Amino acid sequence: MNIHQKTRIKFASVILLGVLAGLVAYPQAVSKIPPVFNALNKLKINLGLDLQGGIHLEYKADTSQIDGGKVDDAMQALQDVIERRVNAFGVAEPVVYTTKTGSDRRLVVELAGVKDINQAKEMIKATPFLEFKEEGPDQQIPQDVLDKFNADAKKKAEGILKKALAVGSDFSALAKENSEDPGSKDKGGDLDFVKKGAFVPEFDKVLFDPSFKDGAVWTQLVETQFGWHIIKKIEQRGDGDNLEIHSAHILIAKKTNPATAQKNYVSTGLTGKNLKNAAVEFQNQGLSEPQVALQFDSEGTKLFADLTKKNLQKTIAIYLDGQIVSAPRVQAEITNGQAVITGNFTVDEAKLLVRNLNEGALPVPINLISQQSVEASLGQISLQKSLKAGLIGLLVVMLFMIIYYRFLGIIASVALLIYAALMVSIFKLSAFSPWQITLTLPGIAGFILSIGMAVDANILIFERTKEEIRRGRHILGAVEEGFKRAWTSIRDGNVSSIITSLILINMGTGFVKGFAVTLVIGVLVSMFTAVVITRTILRFVMGEWIEDKLWLIGVDKSKIKNQNAK
Amino acid sequence: MFDIISKTKYAYIFSITLTVLSVISLFVWGLKFGIDFTGGTLAEVQFANSVPTNQELEDTLKDLGLKSLTLQPTANNSVLIRYASEDDKINQEVSQKISGSYPGAKELRADFINSSVSQELKKNSLWAIIIAILGIMAYIAWAFRKVSRPVESWKYGLGAVIALVHDVLITIGVFAVLGHFAGIEVGVPFIAALLTILGFSVHDTIVVYDRTRENLLRSSAKEQFPEIVNRSLNETLVRSINTSLTVLLTLLAIYIFGGETIRDFSLALLVGVFFGTYSSIFIATALLVTSYKFQIAKK
Repeated sequence: MNIHQKTRIKFASVILLGVLAGLVAYPQAVSKIPPVFNALNKLKINLGLDLQGGIHLEYKADTSQIDGGKVDDAMQALQDVIERRVNAFGVAEPVVYTTKTGSDRRLVVELAGVKDINQAKEMIKATPFLEFKEEGPDQQIPQDVLDKFNADAKKKAEGILKKALAVGSDFSALAKENSEDPGSKDKGGDLDFVKKGAFVPEFDKVLFDPSFKDGAVWTQLVETQFGWHIIKKIEQRGDGDNLEIHSAHILIAKKTNPATAQKNYVSTGLTGKNLKNAAVEFQNQGLSEPQVALQFDSEGTKLFADLTKKNLQKTIAIYLDGQIVSAPRVQAEITNGQAVITGNFTVDEAKLLVRNLNEGALPVPINLISQQSVEASLGQISLQKSLKAGLIGLLVVMLFMIIYYRFLGIIASVALLIYAALMVSIFKLSAFSPWQITLTLPGIAGFILSIGMAVDANILIFERTKEEIRRGRHILGAVEEGFKRAWTSIRDGNVSSIITSLILINMGTGFVKGFAVTLVIGVLVSMFTAVVITRTILRFVMGEWIEDKLWLIGVDKSKIKNQNAK
Repeated sequence: MFDIISKTKYAYIFSITLTVLSVISLFVWGLKFGIDFTGGTLAEVQFANSVPTNQELEDTLKDLGLKSLTLQPTANNSVLIRYASEDDKINQEVSQKISGSYPGAKELRADFINSSVSQELKKNSLWAIIIAILGIMAYIAWAFRKVSRPVESWKYGLGAVIALVHDVLITIGVFAVLGHFAGIEVGVPFIAALLTILGFSVHDTIVVYDRTRENLLRSSAKEQFPEIVNRSLNETLVRSINTSLTVLLTLLAIYIFGGETIRDFSLALLVGVFFGTYSSIFIATALLVTSYKFQIAKK
């Protein structure tokens, strides 16, 4: 492959890259092609809290009461508790983590898009509710009552079937009046088009039976686990695997006891406020079954004694924040306020339960030391303004380049557009990598700044190239030389920017970090753009034809030495 | 070809004057630290109807005994409320008082930093700047290790750093003045701006040094060092100015069109980049020549 072909291929690849990056960055361009648009539109840039609104809370954890070795566990427990509470807010992606600063332990909570900031703060610090409940009366219905009920239901269904099979019957009216399927009753029992396998086997067998004609009602009741169905086939479409049938049905439900008996638990008045401590213990000093040892306070001891006496051999459910955490079986009446919960725990399960139980208060007391909150509308305004600024900045720079460098300026502008598209694409695609980039307001500033700096590489190359042309060098040679000479400056200069950015990333908090990260990425991508993209375009586009049109790139012909040499 | 080197005298005078003025204003007025470095609370509250006067607000909040309370009305029917605080409890109280007295008031933004965090931020910022300067100096000394004659390579590093420090000092000085007269505050974003200026100024300086290095390696014995430097300067002048121009243009766009939360940040960058370019052209290389002349004079 000769040089020209290589250059052409590289040029084509650059254009392709540019188009791809542009599509990822701005999917609206292909909004007319739904499948591509939908796939691309799913990629979103992860916006920082200052652009989408939200809060960043930092708490100092008081670990003074906890001995050294247990601190890590305690912090982990704290994180778990807070994470659980925070998940209840319904915020899209809550972020909770612990950090170490010097000798301090901190807890950080970030919630994007939270509406009520103060309420959120309240809930984080609130105490979880621990309850002990005992079994209530059984919810099971006696079998003979069930049987009678279902027999009556079947008779009712038969009656309706007769009506449905009668000539001139209005199926949908019958359905509206009698069907016990809430999902389809109001639509006249309409179940829309479905493929085979959508319904339970008994229903399916009838529905897809080849002898079942369009518009007909199946002459017999169809019994499934839900009850008795009267099925009408309306129409069908497609064939083979794509066969879909449009049907309607009337359901007369039958009653059963649930497969697993659900215990009904009632409150006992014994709650977490009565628990003094919980710990993991091992039976028989070995590594055999772990169990959880509980210690109640005096009131709790009394309550617990009553509770256990009443419920020997029955289960007592332990609820945390309204959810059952464990339902161990009571082995004996307990009067000393000490209890042991056994029952097939693994060591981890036992540890988890102990942790949960000890969280009558939070495992570690926390104190708010820093907060940054931005209301969503303010975030939105900041986002719009900064995007506008970015666009204007980009346009102004492009204008300047074209005015001063003329033809080369156009090349630079194209490279700049590709650079911008690449950056946006990287932001969006970073969601698939372990280091997702969060774009904050300073981050956008960093991005805009990097646009100005990205141009620098191009300017270096152009100035050098022009200089080489003035020295009398042949056009393509000038381009190569210009690039080679400019590269060391580009590299060294950018390294210093990268050094300062890395320091910023290290020391910075969330907002400043965003700035530094975008700057670093911007510098790296701009180096790539200069080395690969600008150079390729230059190589492809520049050629002999420029020789007599040097005004296009701003070189004064009279200033060239050795006009005869080529 | 401009004879820049011979005019270094003027550049030195200008720079030294500005630097001294900056240092003086720093001592006299100091920088106006925002809550990042002083600790405390900053809240922006938007009122539904008319904005209450500062006096009204002060009265409303009187019982809470807030220290260092300042109120500043701003755009969008809002007021910036600042006060010293150690514990979040006081923030809740302020919030409740305000929403109680002024129904419909919305807290657009609320930042709270307690003093342990702000101390830490101060310490980290100082370290960051020191490490950045050292790091850059080391890098330049290494990058220019091959050009040890006639001026040792570490002097290139020193020259760049002096130009750097000069840029940063003047920027800080400008903000000391602005802080005193226009109330512009300085926080962690300002430090970020300073570090960026560091990086950018050095970048600029390196391009000139790089050209000097190239010309040195290529030069004939006849050309004197000052002349080589001058030539290098001229050759890179257009590029320096153009690059700074593009960066300044983008920064202007941010300053004018970006949100107000980012305005002060872009202002710091504008000042720093401007002086960064100036120092790369007039100061950094001049220092090289000056040290060369000292060396000659000593012999």
